[in-house]
Amino acid sequence: MRSWARRMLRTINPFRWPLAWRVPLLVVLLMLSVSVVITDRVLTRLADSQTRHLAQLSDAYLDGLSSGILPHVVREDVWEIYDALDRARQRYQGLDIAWTVVSDSQGRVLASSHPREFPLQSHLSDRIKLGDSADPKPAMTEALGRAHLRRDLTYQGRTLGVVHAEVRIEGLIRERWEVLRTLVMTNALLTLTLAAIGYVAVLRMMRPVRVLSAHLRSGAEGRMSSIRESELGPPNSEFGQLFRSYNTLLGSVSERERLLAKLAEEERLAALGRLAAGMAHDINNPLGGLLNAVATLKRHGEKPAARETSIRLLETGLRGIRDIVRSSLATYRRRDDQLPLTCGDLDDLQLLLQPEIKRKRLSLQWDNRIDRPLAVPAGAVRDAALNLLLNGCAASPIAGTLTFDAYATKAGLVLEVGDEGPGMPEVVLRYVNEQDDGQAPLSEREGLGLWMVKRLSRESGGCLSARRKSSGGTAVQLVVPEAATAPQSVQQPREERRHVA
Amino acid sequence: MTKPRIREELTLGLSVPSRRTVLHWAAAAAVARPARGLAASPGAPIRFGLTPVFLNNDLDLLARLQAYLSRSTGQEVTLVQRRTYEEITSLLLSGQLTAAWICGYPFIAAAAELSLVAVPVWRGMPLYQSYIIVDADRAATRLDDLHEDVHAFSDPNSNSGYLVTRAALAELQRRPDEFFRRSFFTYGHRNVVRAVAAGLAQSGSVDGYVWEVLSEIEPELTQRTRILRRSEWLGFPPIACLRRLNGAPETSALRQALLAMNQDAVGADVLKQLRLDGFLEAAPSLFDGIAAKIAQVRSFG
Repeated sequence: MRSWARRMLRTINPFRWPLAWRVPLLVVLLMLSVSVVITDRVLTRLADSQTRHLAQLSDAYLDGLSSGILPHVVREDVWEIYDALDRARQRYQGLDIAWTVVSDSQGRVLASSHPREFPLQSHLSDRIKLGDSADPKPAMTEALGRAHLRRDLTYQGRTLGVVHAEVRIEGLIRERWEVLRTLVMTNALLTLTLAAIGYVAVLRMMRPVRVLSAHLRSGAEGRMSSIRESELGPPNSEFGQLFRSYNTLLGSVSERERLLAKLAEEERLAALGRLAAGMAHDINNPLGGLLNAVATLKRHGEKPAARETSIRLLETGLRGIRDIVRSSLATYRRRDDQLPLTCGDLDDLQLLLQPEIKRKRLSLQWDNRIDRPLAVPAGAVRDAALNLLLNGCAASPIAGTLTFDAYATKAGLVLEVGDEGPGMPEVVLRYVNEQDDGQAPLSEREGLGLWMVKRLSRESGGCLSARRKSSGGTAVQLVVPEAATAPQSVQQPREERRHVA
Repeated sequence: MTKPRIREELTLGLSVPSRRTVLHWAAAAAVARPARGLAASPGAPIRFGLTPVFLNNDLDLLARLQAYLSRSTGQEVTLVQRRTYEEITSLLLSGQLTAAWICGYPFIAAAAELSLVAVPVWRGMPLYQSYIIVDADRAATRLDDLHEDVHAFSDPNSNSGYLVTRAALAELQRRPDEFFRRSFFTYGHRNVVRAVAAGLAQSGSVDGYVWEVLSEIEPELTQRTRILRRSEWLGFPPIACLRRLNGAPETSALRQALLAMNQDAVGADVLKQLRLDGFLEAAPSLFDGIAAKIAQVRSFG
């Protein structure tokens, strides 16, 4: 649930969105901000303009009405006041007048345009909220769609009455809504258009980046390829220069890989030479005994005891030679085989190490606890283990101790080689612990072996790591996961063993 | 409670036709007598006065009436309009008008000074009624139901628009100022209908002829009112002149023009627009009913 929530958070986090989305989003946000400000300003100006216009019309209406009815208000001539209101209603078409009431100074109705709503002599304060005489502006109540007008009728300095009028302003409010709707639609259309343009523009601008990204991603997956000529673009453009630099870099890396592979092969051959020398030495030792046994058989073959002893010596010697040959065959057979790794595949390596062990008088602590065939590439793992062990031998001081530990886990194989050497240099340590191939420290001899192990580890899907031991020396660990496919039969190695037996 | 000024004038006005107004009119007539008035000057145009009893808001009708009278009398005719009955009556009595279409009430009030020129015929008779109208949705059925109303009168010198209702209240021993909560004058019968239709007044006194004509030409206005009470038939508002000018040539020419109006195409068209049948000569006794109402009001005080 938490991981799902984290994924969701990552998905809705705009900073993790592609650039082609983020730029249009930024455009939309900017346009929204601008739209809000512009809309607010336009509506404010429109409201001010409408209020001013309404005030002017109201003043004109009240001025004309006041001068017309003032003599009648003085005489309290009900009919003439009503007649003036009735005629004014038809005359002032610019104002949508809901009603007009003329009251005396006590607030009693003298006449109104709507006598049924405002009966004669009724108190106006009972029916409407009287406006403030000090404020000449129309009091607009937008919720009701009405504006209240008020004008005092003064004669010789005395207030004889008041004109109250209510004007319908639904038209003004409707006009504002129409302006608002027009602004919103225009801005929305503009925003969407600009966002679409931004999206397309970013897509076009990001196309070279996507090309480069795809090549880098392929390179990380081990399928490095140069950018095609058709995608390079003009040489003087920014991406044209970048692409050409990338292709140049790729060429250098490929050349480096080729050289490293060549070096590795040469080292492999050198190791093979050393191994052959060791093998010759190991085979030469029993050869003397074997020849002596043969000579004994020639001379004393008729004696049962001598014959039996000679034959046993012959068998023992030949078995030793057989083990050496079998181990060599297992080591140098095709590494791309898919045979599972068994406990014996690693134990054989002890024979190959014997020349180095003896040369440096090392003590080998061998702990192989693999209890089942593992679906890991046996050849690659053996090569990697042999390289690690040879590196360990090289790093160990004379009469030092070399440790080998291998065991199976649920995930696969874990093997670790430890030495008592001076410790792996920091640059090599960092190189080993990097996830990618990185820059192999070619100046160090150990580096090439480690580079090979790392390559073998990568090929088998494993992980290589190294650490300095607290007691001194280095421990290098290789973890190789088991493949999903079931391990193949182990018959093949047995056949090989039969051949060499 | 202080009564509004207009009500004080109204109260005073109730007694004016019989005293102050008539005296005023008599004074105006006395002043006019030495010079025989402007209307009697030789070569002067005929000045014909119109009161609000007439549908004076139709300028086209006025133009056609003026054209007909000018052609028919062979003299230039000037139509003189004023806002109130009192103004026209004063102009007539002061000799500034050859004749005037006035109401029966001022005619009776100044009967000593005035003579009849002609009387309109409406629906075959020189008679009309006064209506008391109320809001169309109102449930009132009797005059008593109008107690404490805001009432609209037409003119303090109008028979149908004031005197008849005043006389009806006198029968009930009531006076308008204490029977109605408030009353006002609109100085036009159509305005009375407008005031009641709009709800400005809850009831009104109006010329029955005007209401009937309005119900034809502005039914949306009269449909919002209902006739609560019709008076008896009374003499139709007449065309009158100063008694001393009754035999004057211009007066005779005007009389002939009016009497022959229904025989002329333009005149008949004017009559049609006025919904009148024509004009006839009548005796002052036609207005005895109005005189009786004046007497009734005076007797009530």
